[in-house]
Amino acid sequence: MAVVAPAPERTHIENLERVWRERPGVLGWLTTVDHKRIGLLYFWTTIVFFAAGGLEALLMRTQLATADQRVIGPETYDQLMTMHGVTMIFFFIIPMTTGAFGNYLVPLMIGARDMAFPRLNALSYWIFLGAGIFMYSSFLVHQAPNAGWFDYVPLALRRYDGGLNVDFYALGLIFNTVASTIGALNLIVTIFKLRAPGMSWNRMPLFCFAMLAASLSLIFALPALTTDCIFLELQRKLGFHFFDNAHGGDALLWQHLFWIFGHPEVYIIVLPAFGIATSIIPTFARHRMVAFPLVAMAELLVAFIGFGVWAHHMFATGIASTTLAFFAAASMMVVIPSTIQIYAWLMTVNIGTPEFRAPLMFIGGFILFFVIGGLSGIMFAAIPFDQATTDTYFVVAHFHFIIFGAAVFPLLGGIYYWFPKVTGRMYDERLAQLSFWLTFAGTTLTFFPMHIVGLLGMTRRVYTYDHGLGWDAYNLLETIGGYILAGGLLLIAFNIARSYRRAVPAGRDPFNGGTLEWTTTSPPPHYNFAVIPTVSSPYPNWDERDREEDLRRLARGDLVLDVGHETPESTVNDALPSAIAEMPPESPWPILVALTLTIAFFLLLTSHYATAGGFFALTVLTLAGWNAQEPNEVAA
Amino acid sequence: MTAAALPVHQARAKGWWGMVVFVTTEATLFGTLVGTYVYLRFHNAHWPPQQLPKPPVLTPTLLTAALVTTSVAGHIASRAVSNAQRERAWRSLAAVFAVQLVYLVWQLHDYVHTIHVYKPQASAWASVYVTLLGADHAHVFVGVLLSAWFLVRIRSRLSRYRVVGVQAAAFYWHAVNVITLVVLGVQLSPYL
Repeated sequence: MAVVAPAPERTHIENLERVWRERPGVLGWLTTVDHKRIGLLYFWTTIVFFAAGGLEALLMRTQLATADQRVIGPETYDQLMTMHGVTMIFFFIIPMTTGAFGNYLVPLMIGARDMAFPRLNALSYWIFLGAGIFMYSSFLVHQAPNAGWFDYVPLALRRYDGGLNVDFYALGLIFNTVASTIGALNLIVTIFKLRAPGMSWNRMPLFCFAMLAASLSLIFALPALTTDCIFLELQRKLGFHFFDNAHGGDALLWQHLFWIFGHPEVYIIVLPAFGIATSIIPTFARHRMVAFPLVAMAELLVAFIGFGVWAHHMFATGIASTTLAFFAAASMMVVIPSTIQIYAWLMTVNIGTPEFRAPLMFIGGFILFFVIGGLSGIMFAAIPFDQATTDTYFVVAHFHFIIFGAAVFPLLGGIYYWFPKVTGRMYDERLAQLSFWLTFAGTTLTFFPMHIVGLLGMTRRVYTYDHGLGWDAYNLLETIGGYILAGGLLLIAFNIARSYRRAVPAGRDPFNGGTLEWTTTSPPPHYNFAVIPTVSSPYPNWDERDREEDLRRLARGDLVLDVGHETPESTVNDALPSAIAEMPPESPWPILVALTLTIAFFLLLTSHYATAGGFFALTVLTLAGWNAQEPNEVAA
Repeated sequence: MTAAALPVHQARAKGWWGMVVFVTTEATLFGTLVGTYVYLRFHNAHWPPQQLPKPPVLTPTLLTAALVTTSVAGHIASRAVSNAQRERAWRSLAAVFAVQLVYLVWQLHDYVHTIHVYKPQASAWASVYVTLLGADHAHVFVGVLLSAWFLVRIRSRLSRYRVVGVQAAAFYWHAVNVITLVVLGVQLSPYL
């Protein structure tokens, strides 16, 4: 009744601030369970690994710039090459897409206050960090993995590679798959269970479909890699026989298991990029995605077909030709869902009124590179062509157009696109467009000539080559391209840093985006949304009446959930409200679990099995401590 | 004031779904192990190698039969926690725990023997066999830990967290029982 009583929405927001606030300072970051902070931790950590992987690439390109160079020797080259691949795949793209982008954006896009399992989310980050430190510590003892990122046996067996190099690889990857599995599990359950009321499958953003498809692929693909690496370590350390034909094993078993993981992995890498493209295109074309349900199904179909094509990495291994024909046909099938998406992107731009700002320019570059890489990819489905070009630079050219051109370009566009949302500040558009042209030119110049030197006979993984083979000019161009590309990437970093310092306010929704993350403030508060939004279309931020209704519900206190650390759970298909989930508060347990595991893996590496077992037991005890702290007990 | 505004629809909790996804990836792991067994089988004329005795039949079959009964008790425990019948759930859990523990101790005892007799360092068959059995026992061990943990946790009272936990653990036991049946099938396959 008092005249000075604050407006009801103010009270709700103050309650939410109090309930969701986390500890300040470094300790807060170490114990955080906020998906946005974990997303940022993932982001900066993967950026460090990206820089390391890029530096390794530049060193290799410097060595290959001209014939007969002696910048680095063959052993160092092998280590740099292996670590470049391992880093970019396992410590940059997967954690950057699922860990950073997925973590930060999926809950915001589906209208949830956090991921389904916030503490598991923190655990996946800390294990990822532990695995990264584990892998990179190999450089300290000059025994970095050196048998290529796919680590073929028999080269990777103890007889031919006696140091710790391959042990770092196998144990590091087993460790890292734990982090990726936990992250994928969390994304799947978040997407299944935490969608805002009304967000049935047909209204879920395509970005989330892409993350779902990538996460499902991870769940089904990673076990093959884990098994493979466990076999390798059992053989290397304990003398088991899986891969040596003399004792009834089979060297090709490694390749089968590796590529059963490895090919789905390609789609795991590229699907989130598709998801970013389907976020950026509608915003800047001012038009909803054309063929929305087809694109959603195509994203899932790419992931599904990805499991039936692994042997196309093994066309030159001498397996039966009927088998090869099956895999060649399956590989060509991937064209169908890929093309559906390419046409949908192009038609959306065509029908809409596109505004070519930096994010959309990166998507344009992505589509071009994806088509080039896709066309060279189809060539490999022709078995004789594959057998002629296998292990040449033509293959290197193909997969770099896919992995750098198609997977990383949308990430770069995505960094610009969501920078205003994450920081609340606007980036410099002119510098951003300049950085696009630099990276675009750099990418083309680095990777396109590789097609030609590949066809001229230059093989992969060589650390140097002779004069007079006709390769010199192309290699020099590639190296120059590599440095231009590095310059473009540094310009992006500079733009981000300068824009952050200059702090030009971006506001809630600078681009008129369609999805829910644009309905909340920039940066979003700890609780993401003051009122849980209700959804009636795939582009809820364009539904003005729904958003006005949100404000009225905030004033009424309806679906505000400001009494506890809570977010609604919903039914899997129709996203009807089913329960209120009590979310755990910040917790020291995830980092402790990751710490005990990291120590245990170092002990496994050095063959201290009993002590390692002790640390695994400690991990179990830590998990008990974690489980004893129930969310509802503390939130009360 | 907030929950009342929501029409509540029945659905499985997110914790249960988390276990489903976890079990999916574990089942895939066993798929790759069994796939390796089958793949290597077709690369060998004699599988298992001729000089080795064939793997045992009777003990693993009886033990697995006993283990599979925990699915019944596990189901009862899961239903009981949903209906807030704490003591009934505790008794069922105790039965699950007892059977799993006996199974595991017996199997581990035999496992040490298996390693000595079949020697994974001597043949690919023994390598896969020992790895497959070891992976299965490790999963039963996790099941024992889960049983023990919830025996302690629901001794005094239930909470939503514990209810979902027991339901998820029950799902895990069902899955491990199915996996153990598949592993038993692989063990018995040389007799086919």
